[in-house]
Amino acid sequence: MPAVQETIDQVRQIDVDQYKYGFETKIEMDKAPKGLSEDIIRLISEKKNEPEWMLEWRLEAYQRWLTMDEPSWARVKYPKIDFNEIHYYAAPKGTTGPKSLDEVDPELLKVYEKLGIPLKEQEILAGVEKTKIAVDAVFDSVSVVTTFKEELKKAGVIFMSISEAMREHPDLVRKYLGTVVPQSDNFYATLNSAVFTDGSFVYVPKGVRCPMELSTYFRINEKNTGQFERTLIIADEGAYVSYLEGCTAPQRDENQLHAAVVELIALDDAEIKYSTVQNWYPGDKHGKGGIYNFVTKRGDCRGKNSKISWTQVETGSAITWKYPSCILRGDCSRGEFYSIAVSNGHQQVDSGTKMIHLGKNTSSRIISKGIAAGVSDNTYRGQVSAHRKAENARNFTQCDSLLIGDKCGAHTVPYIEAKNSTAQFEHEATTSKISEDQLFYCLQRGIPEEAAIALIVNGFVKEVIQELPMEFAVEAQKLIGISLEGSVG
Amino acid sequence: MNMQQAIKMTAAETALVDAYTAQIGDLPGDGAVLSLRDTLVHELKTAGLPTRRVESWHYTDLRTLLRAVPSADPSAFADRVEPIVAGATVLSVRNGEADLKSLPEGLTARSYTESLLDGSAVAGLAVLGSDDAIGRINGGLVRGGLEIAVAEGVELEAPLEIQVAQSHGQAHTRFPVSFGPGSKATVLERHLSTNGDASFVSSVTDLTLAEGADVIWIILQQQGASDTHLGQIRFDLGKDAKLHVFVINAGGKLVRQELHGRASGEGSDLTLRGINLLGGESHTDVTFTLSHDVPHTTSSEIIRNVIFDRAKGVFQGKILVAQDAQKTDAKMSCNTLLLSDDADFSAKPELEIFADDVQCGHGATVIDIDHTQLFYLLSRGIPENKARAMLVNAFVAEIVEELEDDEALVEALEGVISAWLEKHA
Repeated sequence: MPAVQETIDQVRQIDVDQYKYGFETKIEMDKAPKGLSEDIIRLISEKKNEPEWMLEWRLEAYQRWLTMDEPSWARVKYPKIDFNEIHYYAAPKGTTGPKSLDEVDPELLKVYEKLGIPLKEQEILAGVEKTKIAVDAVFDSVSVVTTFKEELKKAGVIFMSISEAMREHPDLVRKYLGTVVPQSDNFYATLNSAVFTDGSFVYVPKGVRCPMELSTYFRINEKNTGQFERTLIIADEGAYVSYLEGCTAPQRDENQLHAAVVELIALDDAEIKYSTVQNWYPGDKHGKGGIYNFVTKRGDCRGKNSKISWTQVETGSAITWKYPSCILRGDCSRGEFYSIAVSNGHQQVDSGTKMIHLGKNTSSRIISKGIAAGVSDNTYRGQVSAHRKAENARNFTQCDSLLIGDKCGAHTVPYIEAKNSTAQFEHEATTSKISEDQLFYCLQRGIPEEAAIALIVNGFVKEVIQELPMEFAVEAQKLIGISLEGSVG
Repeated sequence: MNMQQAIKMTAAETALVDAYTAQIGDLPGDGAVLSLRDTLVHELKTAGLPTRRVESWHYTDLRTLLRAVPSADPSAFADRVEPIVAGATVLSVRNGEADLKSLPEGLTARSYTESLLDGSAVAGLAVLGSDDAIGRINGGLVRGGLEIAVAEGVELEAPLEIQVAQSHGQAHTRFPVSFGPGSKATVLERHLSTNGDASFVSSVTDLTLAEGADVIWIILQQQGASDTHLGQIRFDLGKDAKLHVFVINAGGKLVRQELHGRASGEGSDLTLRGINLLGGESHTDVTFTLSHDVPHTTSSEIIRNVIFDRAKGVFQGKILVAQDAQKTDAKMSCNTLLLSDDADFSAKPELEIFADDVQCGHGATVIDIDHTQLFYLLSRGIPENKARAMLVNAFVAEIVEELEDDEALVEALEGVISAWLEKHA
């Protein structure tokens, strides 16, 4: 059955023409010359005042990258990227690293104010804002400010830009960097390893529950730049952290490249909750401009009973190529992936997840909702695999797609691989096999099945989205209401 | 990577090319057929057998898995065996020579060798795409088969059994079959081997259903434990045509059964049922693609796999819904019982949808035997091995029971399944 009017209206509200964050800010920038070479990498490393081992690591990655081919398996089409036409480093003049709020260029603060990002600690403390969030603001290639650092420090939580962490906590960075996404993991991750300029670093020590939400806000501002950030989050034994990421960019006719790497590590009994509201500029309605979002995100449930949960709300980018994954290495570890991906105009989305079950009694859950409108293409691509020794691995996958109009496409490409007889995998793309108990509960209270299913799935997503601060959740909130009516597997 | 670069040929690739070279001058065909054969073998030589890098062969790396190919031996065809359903009309193929006997009214058949010789086969010999390795091997080496036609309005009373029995060596056969408007038939395509020597079989069946045709097509693959079977079914469904394809794999060491079809007439319906019984060290791959090209077409697929020992099972299913194909209703499900920790199963159920008013869904499960069901039987005094056998049997038998209109056929197929399970469970 076709989509209901309510849904069509809601999707229209977030159409590519309605992009609100397309403004550009005139700020004097310090840029590296265009192009990629060993010299540029040395320059980036020098600007960041990095230790020698880091530079070697970057150069090694660069050498590997030169031998690699761009992946072509994803269901996305775009003209060939000229990697020598990009500035690999661009920072607001005078910024050598994050400092206290008072020293930050007021122009920059205005940008974040306009975007609705709370950077002013005083206001937040004074109760103007309801929720308390620590923010790391990344502007083009550098982190300009990180809030609430002191307060977090008292709890023992390290939250700072990764360049700062490399100087202040080199041992921690060295121990974990590249252990989840190796240097030569894939074409874009390798490029990122060579040229990443900034990103966030989080370390939550043993037994600590991070006292507030942590977040990073990425903004691409400068023309012809690429943003290559790297985020590394470590939750030590028994720790808990919730982290969220937001991103926007100005409206431009050229395509810009964003190739990030995110690594999560959860040790015994630790839990990491990672949420993304991806709202890069999607291009105009003729498909001109927009961000190429080629991102590698992976979490490693390294310890027993650890848990990693990915939540993503994808509305932006001209092209999205992104598969947040979980390696379930520790026994009894758990991975979750909740995704809402909306494509409109000429957007192309190829996104999904991988759940790699290695340990015993591991479980994972995938809920993916793709909504395609305009002339866009929306693909779910996922992999669930159980290793020979992954006894009692358990997975539940559900992916629904909704098409609005007859010029768009929705595709599902799941890979299911079981090498253990005790593994129990269920892949559902029909709307009938949601938790039978919950469904039965709703039905016997007189709620029709379609409404009950929508209620359960939306309730599920809502649970996570409600924990996002309001500023990030505006787009997400609109999507929650979208019903599952007329959805196809 | 430069695709033009010559690859180092594996032993199997060399054997296939050698088989072709050795038979030049002997393989039937007119000028056009022979030149197409040349092209296909040349492509095989340059591209090689597909590896896991070719997406449609992701889980069946033919280049690695196909270690050896026995040499062609024209005397390798075995004698005809009794049909599995008593009273069935049997057509057998021996060394490409169709063994034609008196056929029921409305059914005509001629040897495919004749179509190769007079050139009428050339259009059908083309491959489906650059990844169509089965079409390529078969097109290069095919010697014979049967060209069958069921006339308009004819309803065949007894099932038709097409037998391809092989003792060793190679067999490459083709079966273009057309069903006239309003015709009705049940056909069993049976591949079996008569002894334990390795054989290599490729077979392509091309089904065309005209308006309102109603066909049950059963593929019963019972090759020997060291055989390679590469099968392909192509089908095209006309207006209101109904095709019920049944695939039973109960043999072979390396098996790939492809099904590629189009629902090109409004109101057409495809039902696919698959039972894959896997044991030993075998590798069995069922790959299915269906394109819904026009509005108001329906399809339903259910695949059941039972995997023992060190066997590997693969199911790839892809449903495409074209932009105009509104009101398509497609459901695909794949359920697997993984009964050994050394066994292995991979599935890739894909949907590619371009129309917005459709109902499409797919489901896939991989599980062990339900412990509560097992406990129930055990608590009633049934020994464990017997209880397990009962549950496994029930898992696949319910699919066969859908053919309830023909009791003798259901009984025969259940017999094949039970016999296999008794031997392996």
